[in-house]
Amino acid sequence: MTDAKFLLFFFCAAIALAGAIGTIASKLPLRAAMSLLVTIIALAGLYLTLDAQLLAAIQVLVYAGAVVVLFVFVIMLIGPAPETSSAPGSVVWRMLSLVGIAMITATFAFSFVDVASTWVAPPAGFGTVRGVAGEMYTKALVPFEIVAMTLTTAIVGALAIARSKTASELAEMKRRRVAEDASAAAQPAE
Amino acid sequence: MSDWLSIVPLLLVATSGLFIMLADAFSKEKAELALVTAVSLGTAGLVAVGLLASGSALPPLPEVLGSYLAVDELSLFFDFVICLGGALSALVAGGYLREHELERGELYVLIVLATFGAMVLARSTDLLTLFLGLETMSLSVYAMIAFRRTSARAVEGAMKYFLLGSFAAAILLFGGALLYAATGHTDFAGIGAKIGSGEVEPVLVLVGMLMVLAGLAFKVGAVPFHMWTPDAYEGAMTPVTGFMSVAVKAAAFAVFVRILVVALPGEEVASMTSGWPPVLIFLSVLSMVYGNVAAVAQKSVKRMLAYSSIAHAGYILLGLAAASVVGEPAISGVLFYLLAYTVSNILAFGSLVMIGSRGKEAVDYDDLAGVGRRHPYVALPFIIGVLSLMGFPPTAGFFGKYYVFNAAVQAGGGFVWLAVIGLLASAVGAYYYLRVVVVMLMKSPAEGQVVAVPMKSGYVASALAMSGAAVMVFGLLPSWALDLAISAAQKLIG
Repeated sequence: MTDAKFLLFFFCAAIALAGAIGTIASKLPLRAAMSLLVTIIALAGLYLTLDAQLLAAIQVLVYAGAVVVLFVFVIMLIGPAPETSSAPGSVVWRMLSLVGIAMITATFAFSFVDVASTWVAPPAGFGTVRGVAGEMYTKALVPFEIVAMTLTTAIVGALAIARSKTASELAEMKRRRVAEDASAAAQPAE
Repeated sequence: MSDWLSIVPLLLVATSGLFIMLADAFSKEKAELALVTAVSLGTAGLVAVGLLASGSALPPLPEVLGSYLAVDELSLFFDFVICLGGALSALVAGGYLREHELERGELYVLIVLATFGAMVLARSTDLLTLFLGLETMSLSVYAMIAFRRTSARAVEGAMKYFLLGSFAAAILLFGGALLYAATGHTDFAGIGAKIGSGEVEPVLVLVGMLMVLAGLAFKVGAVPFHMWTPDAYEGAMTPVTGFMSVAVKAAAFAVFVRILVVALPGEEVASMTSGWPPVLIFLSVLSMVYGNVAAVAQKSVKRMLAYSSIAHAGYILLGLAAASVVGEPAISGVLFYLLAYTVSNILAFGSLVMIGSRGKEAVDYDDLAGVGRRHPYVALPFIIGVLSLMGFPPTAGFFGKYYVFNAAVQAGGGFVWLAVIGLLASAVGAYYYLRVVVVMLMKSPAEGQVVAVPMKSGYVASALAMSGAAVMVFGLLPSWALDLAISAAQKLIG
């Protein structure tokens, strides 16, 4: 890795981490979405250090350009209200998960610190438009077709969950609401 | 044309999924989609078992398809198991959806697409197809759990499974990337050859291997990756729970077998000192003990079956670990176990569907009180299914357990103790399985309790008849299915 690449790597990695922390720590949904945008663009920079130019461009186009915009639309539609504070887990659990994260991070850091030089070098033309296209359209026919099925599955699944409710479902929801109201009304009497 | 012969089951399932989607969209009246689904999946399964039983050499795939899909007896065996599970679940779902007025065609499409994903997963010889198959299967299963949108439980179970499942998939992908970094290959054979040559960085291989195993252990619900299992199993509609417990599990174990045998052979990664056998043993013991003990404490029969499925994952992992020593007998034992487990579990979940009806589903032990005396014909399949899960002779489940534990004993050494732990854990299992039987036969429903009335459905009844017959046939005459399993295992090891 050349020095310039090295610098770029650390620069992008720091920004990506900061963005990721901002995404989960921010109370305002819109701010979280913007932090996510920062992470996504920084990731594109990381891809550049890995010789994956096409992937970097796609990352910016698809994720920064489309996915985050979609998130922002949704946030605007349902109103950018801050999330209601959910009850955090007990202190013990939070400490335990922090220790767990630290241990996994340490394992990785110590495992990989010496082995970077033995990583297999990418083949020539790796990550360029020509390289990716050649791989995708001449060799990877089967994965390409399976991706089509995966996307079909995702669409059918999204439809199954999100399509408008049927008459029987509306009736069930109404029944349920009536039952809940009845139990809520009965509660103070007890 | 004959080049394509060995993936005909896969192609049949893919096209029937698309056909059912169109049929649902363009038919005005509700077509008998459950029947169409069951018949197409059943046909694919029969083609697979026909190819397998004919014993003829399978032609290699056309060169244009590359080496992403396996052409071997193991994949045909799993095609059969997965399609069988899918077809029977579709029949059970046909009765369930109609009874509970949830009839929407998407569920059948999702069942077929999930079956397709599971078959791809079981057939994958490359990290790329592995991941795509896993995602196709998982996406449709997430949607199937959330299918009953009005139920808060279903949405909660789906959300938990979706979030944790995404993490597990990401971990698996990261592990795959490390294996690629270490070996420069994404195909299992290439990875295995490179590792066998010893010119790899062991740290990368081991960490990558652990992450891949963690991702797969999540899918089979092995302890400590089981947290999602009870909630997702309980939240999902019962036919979907049945599907998850058989097809998803079978596919994940198929890829387990293939990765361990093909991609991770050799001293460095498959020995007791530094490799996957101790990892599998760890997961196996935890799953056997925890699954069985936790199942005892459950009030809901569905949740009890969820914990019992964790325990079964433990038994199967024990067989896989033994495969590092004895090879073929352990793998064929695992294959037979998965087949037996598929029919027994569908029988148990299908009967649970049959016992309830609109307005009152049978979920808890209390709902089952006295069913055996009021409706013996509905109770009988449930009892057979539970006895088979328990491993009671002469059911299919007995021989499944027998072959797996036998392989562990053959492996010798510490594996004998593991078989003993497995047997003790199954003895705990006998308690809660028999408790259901006792509740059904001896107890009476409490005063004023709403009693579950069995539904009337030809679909569910035929699914129960078929799986019940299979449980008894594989129990009385296990040799036919075992021979298929043995030939598949032998061809894999070569």
